[in-house]
Amino acid sequence: MAVEVMTVEVAEATASGFAAIGAGLAVGLTGMGTGLAQFSIGGAAVGATAENKDMFGLALLFTVIPETIVIFGLVVALLLLF
Amino acid sequence: MFKVQTMSRLLIAASKDQLDTIVRELYRHNLFHIEDFVESDEEGYEGFKIGMPLPGAGSVSSDLIRIRSIENSFDVSAGEVETTVRSGTAELTRKIESELPVIEKEAMALIEEKSSLENTVREYGMKIAELEPFTGYTGYLEDLKGFDFFVVLAGYIPAHFGFTVPNESFYTTVNKRHFLIAVVPLENAEEAERSLLDAGFQAVAIPDETGTARARIDWYTQEITRLNNEIEGVKGRILAQKKTHAAFLVACDELLTAEVERKEAPLRFATTEETFVAEGWVPIEKKDALISDITSATGGKVYITELEYDPVEDVVPVEYHNPDFSKPTELLIDIYSRPQYSEFDPTLLVAIVFPIFFGFILGDVGYGLILLALSFYLRKMLKEEAGRKLLDVLRNASVSSIIFGLLFSEFLGYALPWDPIGLNRHLNIGGHSTGHGPDVTQMLVLTAWIGILHITLGRSLHIYNAMRKHHPGKHRTKVVFGQVGWILTMWGILFALWSLFAIPVMPDLTGFAGIVAGLNIFGILGAVMVVVGVIGVAQENVLDLLELPTIISHVLSYARLAAVGLSSVAIAMVTNYIAIELIIDPQLESLSVVGIVIILMGIVVFLIGHTLNTALGVLGGGLHSIRLHYVEFFTKFYQGGGKKYKPFGKNRKFTED
Repeated sequence: MAVEVMTVEVAEATASGFAAIGAGLAVGLTGMGTGLAQFSIGGAAVGATAENKDMFGLALLFTVIPETIVIFGLVVALLLLF
Repeated sequence: MFKVQTMSRLLIAASKDQLDTIVRELYRHNLFHIEDFVESDEEGYEGFKIGMPLPGAGSVSSDLIRIRSIENSFDVSAGEVETTVRSGTAELTRKIESELPVIEKEAMALIEEKSSLENTVREYGMKIAELEPFTGYTGYLEDLKGFDFFVVLAGYIPAHFGFTVPNESFYTTVNKRHFLIAVVPLENAEEAERSLLDAGFQAVAIPDETGTARARIDWYTQEITRLNNEIEGVKGRILAQKKTHAAFLVACDELLTAEVERKEAPLRFATTEETFVAEGWVPIEKKDALISDITSATGGKVYITELEYDPVEDVVPVEYHNPDFSKPTELLIDIYSRPQYSEFDPTLLVAIVFPIFFGFILGDVGYGLILLALSFYLRKMLKEEAGRKLLDVLRNASVSSIIFGLLFSEFLGYALPWDPIGLNRHLNIGGHSTGHGPDVTQMLVLTAWIGILHITLGRSLHIYNAMRKHHPGKHRTKVVFGQVGWILTMWGILFALWSLFAIPVMPDLTGFAGIVAGLNIFGILGAVMVVVGVIGVAQENVLDLLELPTIISHVLSYARLAAVGLSSVAIAMVTNYIAIELIIDPQLESLSVVGIVIILMGIVVFLIGHTLNTALGVLGGGLHSIRLHYVEFFTKFYQGGGKKYKPFGKNRKFTED
C-alpha cells in the first residue's frame, strides 16, 4: 500500500479547504437557526402590525432579535476565511 | 432641528353668534389642532356641554353624500384629477344648486341603463344554460309541451333506463352525462317518475321556448353580443361624463367636506347656553397671526388666551421641525413612531447617517446612477405624498451610493480606472484578482467602529433626553448613571481587548508592560470601567444585567454593513463573469450566426443579473440600514408614541374663495 506523503502544500490546501467548509457551515446553520426562530415571531409580528399599526416598531424589534445568531455565524465565517 | 415644533396652547372663548366666523377663520388657517372637549365634572368645566353642529349641517352632509355617490358611480377620485383651474366658492355653490341635480340625474340614468343591460345579459346567459342539454334534440321545443294525455320527462340519468311502462324515449350525451327525454302516458306518469328517481334521475325543466334549442341558443348568443356592445357604449358615455364632470365633482367634494367639517366643529368644543370655548394647539411662531386674524374677523368680540402646559406630562401634538434636507426622512421616523413632544427628534441624524450606511453597503457608481435616475423618474409619475418622500430618501441614498462607489472604485462590479481609496471590496472571481483582495478584516473592524460610535451616541442621547424630561432628583441620577454604565461597560471591554490583542484599524495597546495577571495599565483600566459600568447598569435595574450580551451582539450587528455590501459586489462580479467572459467573449473571437444569438443571450443574462442585483441592493441596502437605526440605535434612547399634529382645516387643491 502506497503511503501518502503529506507535503506542506497539501496540508495548507487541506486546512484552507476545511476552513471554507467550516465557514459555510457557520453561515448555513446559523442562518437556519435564525430562520426557524424568525418564522413564528415574524408571523405573529405581521399579525400584530395588521391589527394595530403602532405595533410596527416593537414588532420589528422582536422579529430581528434572532438575527444576532446569523450575524455571529457570519463573523465566524469571515474570520475563518480571511 | 433635533427638536419638534414648539406649540402654544390657546383657549378661544366667545359668544355663540361668533361661532361660525371663528370656525371659518380657524379652518382657513389650517393651524389649530383642536383638543376635543370631553364632558366632565372637572373644576372650572362644570355646566359645559359638548356643542351642537351649526345649522344646515344635515343638508350639507346629505349633499356631500350625493356627490360622493356620483363620484362612486363615475369612479372619480381626487388623486387622479389634475388641478388646472381652481373653482371659486361662490360660483361652485351656485353650480351645486343648478347643475348638480342634472348631473345626478344623468349619472343615475346611465348607471341604471348599464345595470339593466347587465341584468339582461345575465338572464340570457341563464337561458342558454337551460337550453344547453336540449341541443342534442333536433325537434322543436314547443312540441315537448302542451299534451293532454302524455307527460314529457327530461333530465340527467346515470345509465340507460329500462321503462316498465309504455314510453317513447330519446337519449343524448350532454357534458359526458346521459340526458333523457321521455314521453309516457299520463296514467303511468307517476309510476315512471318514481322508478326514474330510484335510478338516480335528475329532472330538468323543459325551457319555455319555441324553435329548436340550437336556434334559440344562437339567438341568445347574438343578443348577448349585441347587449355587451351596448354596455360598452354606456361605459363610454359614463367615461365621457366622468371626463366632463370630474373636476367639478372633486371641487364640490372638497367644498362640501370643508363645509361639513366646519359645521360639525362645535361637537369638539365646550359650550354653554350663550358661549363656547375651544381649546387647541398652534405652532408658536404662527400664533400671533392667527390671534390677530380671529380678533379682526370677529371685530374684537373674542377672548383668546395662551394657557400654560407641562411639556412632559401633557399630551402635546407633535409636528416635525426639520430643515428641508431631512423632511423626507420624517416618513421613516413615522413608520417607527412619532417622537414625543419633549423628546430628542432624531430625524436629522437619520437623514445623514442612513444614506451613509446605504452607500457603504451599495457603494457602486453604476447602481447609484440607476437608482438616482429611477427615483427622479418615479417621482414624476407618483402623486402621493408618502411615496414622494420615500423616493427623496432613495435619491439621497443613491447619491451617497455614487460617492462610495467612487471611493470603492466600482461600476456594476467592474473596477474604475483607479485603485480603491481606503477600502478594497474587489473579490477574486474568475481568477482575476485586482490588488490584494478584499480588505475584509479592515471592513469588519470599521463596521464595529461605526457600531460602537453609533451606540455610544444613542446612549448619550438617552442621557440628554433624561436631563430634559426628568426634574433633578434621584430618578434622573439613576437613569443617567445607568446609561453611563452601559457606555463604560462597552468601552471597558474595548480597552481590555486593545490591551490584549493587536487589532487592525484600532489602537494597539499591547506594548505596555503587564502589571497584574498579565494585564497592563489599559487592561486594568478596562476592567475597572467594566466593573463600574456593570454597577451603573445594575443600580438602574437589576434585570438589565441580562441585557449585557447585547453590548457585543449589537456592535457585531453592524458587521452587516460589510457583509451585505460584499455579497452585492459578489453578485455583480459573478454576473459579469458569466455574461461577458463565459458567454460573450468566446463568441466574439470567431463571429457566426449562432454566435450572435449566444451573444444576445449573454446580454440578457447581464441585464437580468444586474436588474436583480439592483433590486436586491435597494432592499438589502435600505432595509439593513434602516434596521440598524430602528433596532440598534433607537432602542438606546428613542421612545416615540407622540400624538400627531392634525390641524383643523384643509389644504385646498380644487377650490378658492
